[in-house]
Amino acid sequence: MSKVKSKRIGFRIDMTPMVDVAFLLLTFFMLTTKFRPPEPVQIDLPSSHAEQKVPESDILTVSVSGDNRYFMGVSSQLSRTRIFERVVQPRLEAAGMSGIAVTDSLQGFKLAEVFPVRKNELPHFVTAARFANQRLRPVVKADANADFEAVNHVLKLFKESNILTFNLVTVLEKEVR
Amino acid sequence: MGMVDSPNGRDSGRKAKRRRKRLGFHIDMTPMVDVAFLLLTFFMLTTTFSRANTMEINIPPENSEVKIAETNVMTFRIARDGYAFWSIGEGTPRKMRLYDESDAMTLSSEVRQVLVQQTKANSKLVIVVKISDQAKYKYLVDLIDEFNMMNIDRFSLDDFTDADAKAIGILASGITEVPDLN
Repeated sequence: MSKVKSKRIGFRIDMTPMVDVAFLLLTFFMLTTKFRPPEPVQIDLPSSHAEQKVPESDILTVSVSGDNRYFMGVSSQLSRTRIFERVVQPRLEAAGMSGIAVTDSLQGFKLAEVFPVRKNELPHFVTAARFANQRLRPVVKADANADFEAVNHVLKLFKESNILTFNLVTVLEKEVR
Repeated sequence: MGMVDSPNGRDSGRKAKRRRKRLGFHIDMTPMVDVAFLLLTFFMLTTTFSRANTMEINIPPENSEVKIAETNVMTFRIARDGYAFWSIGEGTPRKMRLYDESDAMTLSSEVRQVLVQQTKANSKLVIVVKISDQAKYKYLVDLIDEFNMMNIDRFSLDDFTDADAKAIGILASGITEVPDLN
C-alpha cells in the first residue's frame, strides 16, 4: 500500500476505451444533428400541459409573431415549388420580371423554411399549400402575446378552407397538478 | 493521455532499444482527443432531440348547427384586460380574474372552481368561449389547456361581438382602468 502511494509520479492510465466511447458518441451526434434553420422572428410560445408532439413531416406552419405579423412555412421543397408556381410566379410575371429572374427567385423560395406573409395574402398561400399537398397538417405557432384577433384570423381562415383539425404549438408547462 | 500501444509493446525505460526495434512505440494522442471532446461537447449541446409540443384542436364545420337548451349554455367571455365573465343562459355575467397575479402561468383558482362546479352541476353544459379581439392569444391556450385537463370537451369558440362587449361593459365600467395583463 505505502509503496504504491509513494510512487504516484508519472503514472499512466490506458484511456483507449474512453476515447473509443467518446468517438462513438461524437459520430452519433454528428450524424443525428439537424441544425435548426434560423428563424426570422423570435416566437415566445405559450405553455400548456399538452404532451402531443408536432407531426414529423407534411406540416404547414402558420406563425404569428408578438407584433402580429404572419409567417408561413411548408416542410417539403416540392410543396414550396408548387406554391411558388401558383401564387408568386404569376405575380412576378405580371410585374414584368424576366424568366431567368423568376427561376432565380424560385431557387430562393425553395430554400426558405419560413417566409413572411401579409395578412391579406395569407388565404392565397394557405389555399395554394392545400393544393400543393393534400395531406398537409396545419400547425399554428403563435406568440403568447400576440393579439387574439390576429390568431383568430388564422383560425377562421382554416375554418373557411375546411381545415378542421390542426395543432397549436406550445411548450410543456412544468407544473404538475 | 490516450496512447496507442503496439500489441507486443514493452514497458518504457528501454528507449535506446525501442528505436532500433520499432516495437512498443507510443503516439501522443492528446491533441486529437482534445479536439474530439471539443466537437463532442459542441454537438451534444446543440442537438435538440425534442420536437415541440402541440395541442390538437378540432373545430366544427362552418355550416353545422346544434341546438342546445339555453340553460345548458355557459358563456365565458374574456375581456382584453384579463378579466373573465361567465353567465348561464341569458343570466347576468359575473366577473372574475382570469389569473391570480399578472404574470401567473395558470388560471386563477376562482375560474377553476367555477368550471368544476358548473360542469358538475350540469353534465350537459356546453361552454361557449368568446375572447375579445384585443385579448392575448395566451388566454385561449390556457383556457383550452384547463378544459383539456378537466376533461371538458363540450366547448366552442365564438366571435366576440359588440353585444358581448355591451353585456360585460356594464360590469366592467368601474374597472376599465385596470392595467393590462402582460
